Amino acid sequence: MKKIILTVSIILLFLINGCDKGIEPADEITSPTGFKGKVTFTGNWNNNIKRTHLVVFKKPINKDEDFFPPNLTFVIDSIPKGSSQFNYNSLENNYIESFTISAGEYSYIVVAQSNSPELSLLRKDWVVVGVYCENGDQSKPKKLIINAGKITGDININVDFNNPPPQPPGGM
Amino acid sequence: MKNIFLLLILTASLIYSQSTTGSIKGRVIAADNSPLEGVNVFIPATNYGDATDKRGFFEIKNLPLGVYTVEFSLIGYKKEVKEMIELNQISINLNVILYEASFETKQIIVSAGKYQQNKDDLSVSTTVLKPEMITQKNITSFDDLLRYVPGVQMTMDQVSIRGSSGYSKGAGTRVLTAIDGVPFYSGDMGDIVWEMIPLQDIERIEVIKGPASSLYGSTAIGGVINIITKSASKNPFTNFRSYIGTYDKPSYDIWKWDDSFRTFYGLSLTHSNHYKNLGYTFSVRKFDDMSYKQNSYYKRYTAYSKINYLFDDSSNLSLLANYLYSMRGNYLYWKDSRNALVPKAGEENNKVRSNRLFLSLIYDKKFSESFTAQFKSSYYRTKFDGIAIEFTTSTANLFRNELIGTFNFSDKFRLISGLEFSYTKVKSNIFKSPDYFGTGLYAQLEYNLTDDLILNAGARYDYLKLDTLKGANAITPRAGLNYKLTDNLILRSSIGTGFRVPTPSEVFTSAGVGGGIDVIENPNLTYETSLSFEAGLLYNYSKSLRFDAAFYQTEYNDFIEPNLIYTGDIQFINLPKARIQGLEAIVDWDFVPQMFKLNISYNYMWSRDIQREKAMKYRPRNVLYTNLSYNHYPFEAGIDFRYWSKIEEIDDALVEPPLNYVKDGNKRVPVYVADINAGFNFFIGSLPAKTFISLKNIFNYNYVEFLGNIAPLRNISLSFELFY
Repeated sequence: MKKIILTVSIILLFLINGCDKGIEPADEITSPTGFKGKVTFTGNWNNNIKRTHLVVFKKPINKDEDFFPPNLTFVIDSIPKGSSQFNYNSLENNYIESFTISAGEYSYIVVAQSNSPELSLLRKDWVVVGVYCENGDQSKPKKLIINAGKITGDININVDFNNPPPQPPGGM
Repeated sequence: MKNIFLLLILTASLIYSQSTTGSIKGRVIAADNSPLEGVNVFIPATNYGDATDKRGFFEIKNLPLGVYTVEFSLIGYKKEVKEMIELNQISINLNVILYEASFETKQIIVSAGKYQQNKDDLSVSTTVLKPEMITQKNITSFDDLLRYVPGVQMTMDQVSIRGSSGYSKGAGTRVLTAIDGVPFYSGDMGDIVWEMIPLQDIERIEVIKGPASSLYGSTAIGGVINIITKSASKNPFTNFRSYIGTYDKPSYDIWKWDDSFRTFYGLSLTHSNHYKNLGYTFSVRKFDDMSYKQNSYYKRYTAYSKINYLFDDSSNLSLLANYLYSMRGNYLYWKDSRNALVPKAGEENNKVRSNRLFLSLIYDKKFSESFTAQFKSSYYRTKFDGIAIEFTTSTANLFRNELIGTFNFSDKFRLISGLEFSYTKVKSNIFKSPDYFGTGLYAQLEYNLTDDLILNAGARYDYLKLDTLKGANAITPRAGLNYKLTDNLILRSSIGTGFRVPTPSEVFTSAGVGGGIDVIENPNLTYETSLSFEAGLLYNYSKSLRFDAAFYQTEYNDFIEPNLIYTGDIQFINLPKARIQGLEAIVDWDFVPQMFKLNISYNYMWSRDIQREKAMKYRPRNVLYTNLSYNHYPFEAGIDFRYWSKIEEIDDALVEPPLNYVKDGNKRVPVYVADINAGFNFFIGSLPAKTFISLKNIFNYNYVEFLGNIAPLRNISLSFELFY
């Protein structure tokens, strides 16, 4: 009996001290996480436009629902009408305070315009005018990869009002 | 003359001191420490013996000094034999506990059909719990007890039977919890306040798995938990119980937020007695828990009374009153996984104050051998104040009346029918101030077609109207059978429908939850319906080994769940279709009869949101519970192990960009929790007492049941009970 108790005690002690502890704290991140770049505009601005934002989506937009959070991940401050170039940084130009961006892959980064004075999250209120893409081919969106504790740079988008990109499903 | 007198005294003293006879006396009590009357106490093969009196005392007198074997027996209890009892003085004390012969008597259940049935005759899966678990595991709140029940899952304080609920902060329960068959959920949130349940006065707990809307109405769409309270003691009986415990330090130094011992303790005093035809039980309790998390403390005070009056053999009245005052910190989510025991910034001082009063009246009348009636009436007042930057408050008054008639047309044919009314008035700054009216009419037939085959069928009609919303009509039929294929093999099957009308909190909540996120009302929320099927078998391999297995499936339409919508707000919406299928298997094995017991249960559950083609939130696919218990008077011990597979789906929108409201909230792991306990029964004089030590989460494993909420760290507690 003593041997059994001793064996069970040893096994328990081993289990208590040797087991997986379950949830662990995340690694400490001392530097900020984000992205930055510039948006350049070619052609004439439409006078009716009330808002122009750079918007980050986690996945491509395949249906109206994908235009909303959580797929809609980040919104940069509204770009002043008539700009020819706009430099941005996600830390300084976060339009919706409660939104944060973290490390990961984001598939669809666009510049979109709206005629609505209030920020609308309805797909039909927006037109995509520029896409972060491979070699200037706006039909091939490029992924934005953000690493923890780093600011990913050169996320540049060219907007050519005379050569609009393909529109995702939905819209006006 | 003086010398003669002195000599006589000395002689008498000498004779007395060398007496050749003595007595064995003591007390016999039951496992719950109540005195047992009429226990036959005797010395085999002799004429010496006695029977215990009302307080369990006995005395066998005029026994010649010597060594004896003493037997204790009472119908319905296991015989106890005490050997080698040495009587070497005038009197020795012998105290004994008798345990119920559980496998020799059939388990009775009243919740499945609203009348007394044998558990083996039912067409649905059930589990019956005994109150001994409460002491053994040092259960301080009823929801902790449910964590050990096969097929039942607790996500924080929200109960789910076979996946019926995810997590919605308790709003809109799908499991009807009742005390003596009287529903016990609040009028505004439809939640259950587990701390109010009178742990000290529980006779047994019946758990019905699967929809019971055809008898119980809207909230029983997922099942029923019915707490049966004890009858008042026939003799004066007082129980004092206390416990004290402490939480261990966190696994990681960066989680430490306080250097002091985080302790918890509780005290309760219960008294029960009879005066002529009047039986009564009174109880007061106090609980205090500093918690292992910052601002997750609580202080609770409860007062409970139950009065029963027996008018005659055919009628009795029972009145129950239950009150709770509580003040607790309002911990919602962690700050992040590096600060896992600390709330989000700005929520360090949020707290909730609650006052709740539950009153119920039950009147039973047996009109004849073939007809009995029962009237149940209850009033439940709940009030809470959320004290934070934004002050929230809600007061709900819920009135309910139910009339039940049981017609025994013959030994084989029985009809149970009832009529129910309820009315709720809510006054709140977050749920509006709606009123809520409901009525239901039901009937169920039970027919013993043969000795081996029992059929039942029934239906319920409900009409519920929530304030300005369109009234909801629902008819919920069900049917079931129980077939005893052999003496040892019993098959059961049932098919039934269920429905649930949203509560005021699900429809009208309009409040901020922090981080710019609001919960908004949904006046278009409609009621959900379900169709369930179950097939199961019970196999009694021997008196000490039983198997139970069941396959179950439920299809939900318009399932109500909280969701993040396109405006960035949280709203309760209807999911068009959801499906839950599962398999449950239970083994009960007394592998050393009356000493070692093993219970293993496994539940495989596949839950699906059909439209989104995803698992339903907060439902583990695999759940395993095991319990090994040892009972050899005066010692008791047990080991419990619980396993959940990793939850597949949570509220992603709250933990991922863009909201990231609960930082690192997607950190979740499979659950492995082991608890051990050990106890010792003893007497202080003739007063029975017991002490238990309980060590929970012995591996100090860090897991969450709900995002951003680390479950209790390893904790140790010591309890002490005295009965007099």
